Amino acid sequence: MNPDLVLMAVLAGLANWAFRALPVLLMRGEAKPGGLMAGFLASTGPAAIATLFVASVLPRLWPQQTDLVPLAVGTVVTVLAFLPKRSVVVATLAGSLAYGIAFALMHPALAP
Amino acid sequence: MSEKPASFQSGLLAALPIVMGYFPIAFSFGVAATRGGLSQAEAVMLSLVVYAGASQFLALTLFASGAPVLVAAFTLIAMNVRHVLYGPALMKEAGAEGSRRFAWVWAWGLTDEVFGQALGALARGQRFSEAYMFGLGLAAYASWVLGTAVGAFAGGGALDGWPAVSAGLDFMLSALFLALLLSILSRLAMPAIVVAVIATCLGTVVWSATAGILAGMICGALAGMAGGLVRGRG
Repeated sequence: MNPDLVLMAVLAGLANWAFRALPVLLMRGEAKPGGLMAGFLASTGPAAIATLFVASVLPRLWPQQTDLVPLAVGTVVTVLAFLPKRSVVVATLAGSLAYGIAFALMHPALAP
Repeated sequence: MSEKPASFQSGLLAALPIVMGYFPIAFSFGVAATRGGLSQAEAVMLSLVVYAGASQFLALTLFASGAPVLVAAFTLIAMNVRHVLYGPALMKEAGAEGSRRFAWVWAWGLTDEVFGQALGALARGQRFSEAYMFGLGLAAYASWVLGTAVGAFAGGGALDGWPAVSAGLDFMLSALFLALLLSILSRLAMPAIVVAVIATCLGTVVWSATAGILAGMICGALAGMAGGLVRGRG
């Protein structure tokens, strides 16, 4: 194996472990309820998930719009599939399936 | 809130959408790595040791361009700073039951998707357990490493004849994030969500995708904190 590649991987991997584990390990007790830090941490989850959803769909919308119909169908089906039982697994699988079907219908020439 | 803390098996099961989303991306990485001149072992080593999707694709580019090792490593590290927020946010949601005895192991698996899934489960009333975190993280990690290995050994073209399947799998992680967002949606969370969406769009368009992600998370969390302060005084 290339030693430079291994060194780069080990440095990046150690940093990743530190970013993920050290904040948990070094936390001293809970943030004071109602305090600024408690408010910040409570909002981090919703902010992070909203950010990651936007970041994952934005490349399909900007700078060029690609496959808008499958994106719209996949998004709507994900929402509709979530509503009855509030199951993340069912909604994710249904949304992806709908996206794939819409993509196949929009691009019949690409069918195997 | 449920009676028992979640089990290792329920963590494995909850990881299903992540596993299905990770595998094709890792497969693509394995293919790209071997096409870029890395050996199969080197491709798998990157997934085992770095375990961060976008960073690994960037690593291929940096390595191929001959960037100095320390510069390349620093660039990869900078891409994942956002992960420092995940552990504390998860433990805050876990409350008094948030054991961290084995966090030095399970926190390695705290990727964007694993964090989102774990947080969504807690928001739906599930009790925190380290066993659940192990199951969730292990399934996702195994899928990532296995997908890379299959991609590296199979080579390109495996999904070329199935573009609709490939497209559906590409949308899997977006659908997962959307479903997770729906699962934690509440009036209290709206300021953080709205500001995060706007900041991500602006940051991405004006600067870069990485800057957009950092801007979204930090601005969204600050907006949520400010909203809480305003409600507290009202």
